Amino acid sequence: MSDIFQLKESEQRFRALFENNPDLVLFQDRESVIIDANPAYLDVLEKSREEVVGRSFSEFLPPHLRGLFAQKLREAFEGHKVNFDVEVQFEGTNRAFVFAVTKVPLVVEGVITGVHAVMRDMTETHASHQVIREQAHKLSTIFESITDAFFLLDSQWRYTFVNSDVERLLGMKREDLLGRTMQEVFPEEQHGVFQERFQHAFQTKQAVHFQAYFERMKLWLEVKAFPSLEGLSVYFSDVTDKVRSQEELYRQNQDLQQFTYIVSHNLRAPLANALGLVDLLGSIDKHSPDYDEALHNLKASTLQLDTVLRDMNTILSIRDKQDVNEPERVPLVDVVQQARLNLEEALAQCHAEVILNIPPDLHVLGNRAYLYSIFFNLFSNSVKYRSEKRPLQITVTATGRPSQGVRVLFADNGSGFDTDKAGPDIFRLYKRFHTAQAGRGMGLYLVKTHVETMGGKIDVSSTVDQGTQFILNLR
Amino acid sequence: MDTLLIDDDSIGVFLTERLLKREGFDGNITSFSSAQDALEHLQAAEPNSLPQLIFLDLNMPVMDGWEFLDALKPQETQLLGRCHVYILTSSLAHSDACRIREFPLVAGLIHKPLDAAQIHAVRAQVEAAASLR
Repeated sequence: MSDIFQLKESEQRFRALFENNPDLVLFQDRESVIIDANPAYLDVLEKSREEVVGRSFSEFLPPHLRGLFAQKLREAFEGHKVNFDVEVQFEGTNRAFVFAVTKVPLVVEGVITGVHAVMRDMTETHASHQVIREQAHKLSTIFESITDAFFLLDSQWRYTFVNSDVERLLGMKREDLLGRTMQEVFPEEQHGVFQERFQHAFQTKQAVHFQAYFERMKLWLEVKAFPSLEGLSVYFSDVTDKVRSQEELYRQNQDLQQFTYIVSHNLRAPLANALGLVDLLGSIDKHSPDYDEALHNLKASTLQLDTVLRDMNTILSIRDKQDVNEPERVPLVDVVQQARLNLEEALAQCHAEVILNIPPDLHVLGNRAYLYSIFFNLFSNSVKYRSEKRPLQITVTATGRPSQGVRVLFADNGSGFDTDKAGPDIFRLYKRFHTAQAGRGMGLYLVKTHVETMGGKIDVSSTVDQGTQFILNLR
Repeated sequence: MDTLLIDDDSIGVFLTERLLKREGFDGNITSFSSAQDALEHLQAAEPNSLPQLIFLDLNMPVMDGWEFLDALKPQETQLLGRCHVYILTSSLAHSDACRIREFPLVAGLIHKPLDAAQIHAVRAQVEAAASLR
């Protein structure tokens, strides 16, 4: 009695599940004939139970899916539980669904008597997955197309996304970054600015914005990093050119300040003397020897003032011409010879030996007058600061390197100077390093200005009492 | 009042010396065109033969006025109160005026040219300091 009752109850429970199931549930036989279908299924088909039961499930399927369902049904009748996803628009309906289909064989006393097919409507889930995929794709397209390099680090500092600019700027392939930590990929940055700033962003959950030098690629990078739940989003761009031009601007500004300072000082020195001498002259006897000396000094001071103004004029006119003059191909050996000949007398007086190792066909791209002035100043400096202990010897060696310009080594065996102490000051205007010899500290300033105006570079090394070497890199 | 002039510019030295004499300086006036030589002179001097007054130029080759003052630092305590250094420069830079505060030996900064009023002020200051000793 109670067995029958229990059976009835379980039958009722099954019916309730079957009837009220939001999933589409069918019971089919081996030939795909529908033995039972639940209301959810009937709703989708827009048919009554009578129109469905007893007919083959295939009839309701679009022709291209009939084979698939028949195959899956066979598998279920072989005793397997079958799962698959499929998009279906049933015949005679006007809506397509994405179903997750499960076919479960019903086994009665060892024999499969039929198959339950449960079709879960996944249309919306499928659509939202599609949206997510599309957005991910769109996002990746955006990350690829932004002009910044962009990468994502997870909380373990592993790269989880990199765009192509990252590959370019960091000089790394995508596959060598993804999944690896920043520390593994760039061990040399372990204590660097990047590591420190990112750490700061991770810890404080605050965005960071900084500029730093990336040694491996020799680039200045401007970096913005935004911490998020997943890790760190990092955008960066190459600002090397910007930084270099800022440095250049800073240097030029420094030069200009230095120039102003020097000019004011060097203009004021003879002027102050002249003022004082005028004061003195007004109070001393015209017939005293002091009077003549004061007058003589006044004349010297005004001449000095004039010299400084002329120097200014020379310097400013070089600076003005900087962008105007077209460079010409100047035969180097000619200009060096010309400068040497104009100092022939001075060189002969100190028994100087001049050795020129300059290939006759070597040309320099620049301005003849500047090149002449450079070598004239270098020769006359060698004469002026020669050592009294030995006859002066000057060697000028030039080598041309394809596409790298011309390198000139101008070396003497003179009294030299302390490079550590003088350093870059050696080229400064009105900066002097000797008291014994006359000079106003104009020559090397002009040399440097001329070299730089022609797009070149000059360096110096010197050893006290051994000699001085100038290295010129010209175009 | 013994006075030391340190200036590489011979016209500057001539002028300062004549102006001091004109304003009645009767002590010895010694001049050095090199700060290095002046330094050696001071380092070798007996305490009682030190000059009371030093006029120091700033812009000089090899060793400039600031380097001279730096080199004098070790003797600062012995010199303080005995030697009064006045910077005598043609430079009008503000940075120089600020920098003298680093050197207690420096009693003042005068822009060239030196004039009668400045000379009298310097003498008054040095004499006042001497009378306090």
